[in-house]
Amino acid sequence: MDTKQAWKDSLEIIKISVSPAIFSTWFLQTHLSSLKDLGERVTAEVGCPTSFAKNTIESRYFGLVQDSLIKVLGKNCDLIFAVKENPDKIKHTDGVVSPLFTEEKEDEGFLERLQRARIRPSFTFENFAVSSSNQMAHAAAQAVSQSLGSAYNPLFIWGGVGVGKTHLMVSVGNHTLKINPNKKVLFCTGEDFTNDIVEGIRNKTTQAFRNKYRRLDLLLIDDIQFIAGKDTVQEEFFHTFNAVTSAGGQIILTSDRPPSEISKLEERLRSRFEAGLIVDVAPPDFELRCAITQIKAKEKGLDITSDQAQMIAANIESARKIEGILTRLLTEVHIKKSPITNDSIESALGKDSDAGAQIVRKSPQEVTDAVSKYYQVGKRLILGESRARPIARPRQILMYLLRTQLGIPLEEVGRLVGGRDHTTVMHAVEKVTQLATNDVQIREDILKIKQTI
Amino acid sequence: MKFQILQENLSKAVGVASRFASTKAQLPILGNILLSTKKSKVYVSSTNLEISASVQVGAKIEEEGEISIPAKVISELVSNLPKETIFLSAEKEQLKISTTGFSSKILGINSSDFPKIPTSINQEKAVKLSQEALSAALSQVLFATSVDETRPILTGVLFLFSSNSLSLIATDGFRLSRKIITFDIKKEDVGKVIIPKGVLGEIVRVDSSVGEILMLREDREKQVIFGMGNTILTSRLLEGEYPDFEKIIPKSSIVKVLLDKEEFLRAIKLASIFARESANIVKIKVLEDSVRVSAESGSAGSQEAKVDAKVDLGGGEYTEPFEIAFNYKFLEDFLHSVTGEEVEMRFSGVSSAGVFLDPKDSSYLHLIMPVKIQD
Repeated sequence: MDTKQAWKDSLEIIKISVSPAIFSTWFLQTHLSSLKDLGERVTAEVGCPTSFAKNTIESRYFGLVQDSLIKVLGKNCDLIFAVKENPDKIKHTDGVVSPLFTEEKEDEGFLERLQRARIRPSFTFENFAVSSSNQMAHAAAQAVSQSLGSAYNPLFIWGGVGVGKTHLMVSVGNHTLKINPNKKVLFCTGEDFTNDIVEGIRNKTTQAFRNKYRRLDLLLIDDIQFIAGKDTVQEEFFHTFNAVTSAGGQIILTSDRPPSEISKLEERLRSRFEAGLIVDVAPPDFELRCAITQIKAKEKGLDITSDQAQMIAANIESARKIEGILTRLLTEVHIKKSPITNDSIESALGKDSDAGAQIVRKSPQEVTDAVSKYYQVGKRLILGESRARPIARPRQILMYLLRTQLGIPLEEVGRLVGGRDHTTVMHAVEKVTQLATNDVQIREDILKIKQTI
Repeated sequence: MKFQILQENLSKAVGVASRFASTKAQLPILGNILLSTKKSKVYVSSTNLEISASVQVGAKIEEEGEISIPAKVISELVSNLPKETIFLSAEKEQLKISTTGFSSKILGINSSDFPKIPTSINQEKAVKLSQEALSAALSQVLFATSVDETRPILTGVLFLFSSNSLSLIATDGFRLSRKIITFDIKKEDVGKVIIPKGVLGEIVRVDSSVGEILMLREDREKQVIFGMGNTILTSRLLEGEYPDFEKIIPKSSIVKVLLDKEEFLRAIKLASIFARESANIVKIKVLEDSVRVSAESGSAGSQEAKVDAKVDLGGGEYTEPFEIAFNYKFLEDFLHSVTGEEVEMRFSGVSSAGVFLDPKDSSYLHLIMPVKIQD
């Protein structure tokens, strides 16, 4: 039987026996929280709103409640009283929302705006690590974000792949939208821009294109070098540029090289780019990579010690690759359900070199020459038998480089380096990986040798 | 029942208890006070079914027993009697009161209808709190509780116990107050409870000479008991899920402003004259070394006040000054609750909650949701 109906019927009976005041004070807010049918008997739990109600009903109206329930259910009845809020009443109130706690919705609005501006929400100043290699660019971007259109216009950021150009640029957009949601911001790549024009010309909607780009407060164009050599696009960009800047809007551009080196770039564009601030972002140094590793690990919810972060940073140069390694580690953690150890990192690093993502096409001979020249140790000595440290250390580094940079199999490395066993090579690689983590000197040595080859 | 008692003692006890007798209740017994005698003590109790109070006073008991009598009658009567010994005795459902040159018969009700009320607190299990700290903390959070009964959970204060601190949290959905009291709980962790503001308001009012407040939560009865000297207060607990307040406390800010409390309060008061007519909105514009408080109303006019402030824009200047709008009442409430001379405001955006702090008191945090303004 339905508990609600049963209780409603019982209350009707109780209502007759007690005064209206007593009924409304004690019984009106009660409910039947559970009804257990045990064959012969039924156990009913009566939920009362307060302990006063519970005590009063239990001590004064127990018999009345029991009798009426027996009449309704047609069975003998045991009663339990408990202080319980009527669940219907609680549910009823959940729908009411208040501004302070609807911030998520606010956030959604913010996300929506970011989406409209095609800005990745994860790229913010907060998670951008700064060190000497990108300090200048960071400072410039912050200055721009704080006074759009007047600090440096345009801001031109250039640098190699994976150094954080796009991150910086998008951070400005992110920051701008956060402070002032009404600003019109758009992020696109040089290619998007090109495609939009082509589309506009094809569909005869160039006016829509102009409305989209020329009324922006902040225009972010990634990889601007792609528009070089495309005359119509360059012309359209030139007008867009003028329209935006003359209306006080800000333009930020990124490229893989400085404007002076972008070939087939129109002179009037080049001079305009050069009128703003041109900053370069250098590849991240070791300390910055450590910081990046830690930031990314935190974002992924990966728990790594600072030693482990250093180990990854010491062996990997690009920030994207660091992300790749962390993703691999995360997958391992999820699949194997084991915490991250130095070994798992080493194996992830090793696998990476197996994959041969960045194998340098150099002959082992050239590498041997480079190492021998760098350390001023004769080739014969390096490939020889001596185990004195000044000779053994360069030899280990040579093996490390042959293994990680050229991707030569262990046994082959052994053969190349004076016919050594593959376990010796393994030891050498491991040892140098360790050393690179802890020893600045070794790290620099490796970096310089890499540069020579 | 028969006993002798000093007028002052009885008057005080009846005065406290009569506050909780509900005169408007349908059930006459709830408008009554229960007088009961046990051993050498008289217990004066009352309840409105949300809160109950029981005050214990010393007296010369001649005969044990109990009677319930209308709160209004007894409290008015006793408070006007001369300061000397009063003789009370109950016969059936009548209470006889006599003192020199005065005698009275009050018609009562059979005490068996009176709800059972806790008259003591288990000292062993209870948590001990400093009365001063608790009432100071309550006065900083109570004002932020909601008056809106459609969300009962927000009409209470969340008590969050951890190993060495107690956080009090109150919010009405537009603002939030959090105060942390640090102390050593020697008892086992009592987790979290949501206590209706009614009983907490009474705790703030309690005579400050008590020193210590005992607090005990009874899960089965869904009630909390406070022991303050001779007075035992109980209240039902609010059931339901308290909103996740940790989540909405902004982690970072882009603008920090430090200003003098009195000056700011004056500016807000001035602004409120016009704000009252336009949805209580006061605008705060953050300038280089000051904030501009302004308000306008279509019918009354407008005003603008400058308050000197230390402004931290996080390392840079904005070409457009940061402007945010609040309901002035919320600002006023906050400023009244601050004990220090300065206040700090932190903003992270025009549509996210502003953080209000007392730089001298890191345990106090207040959030206010801004009002959206259209350009």
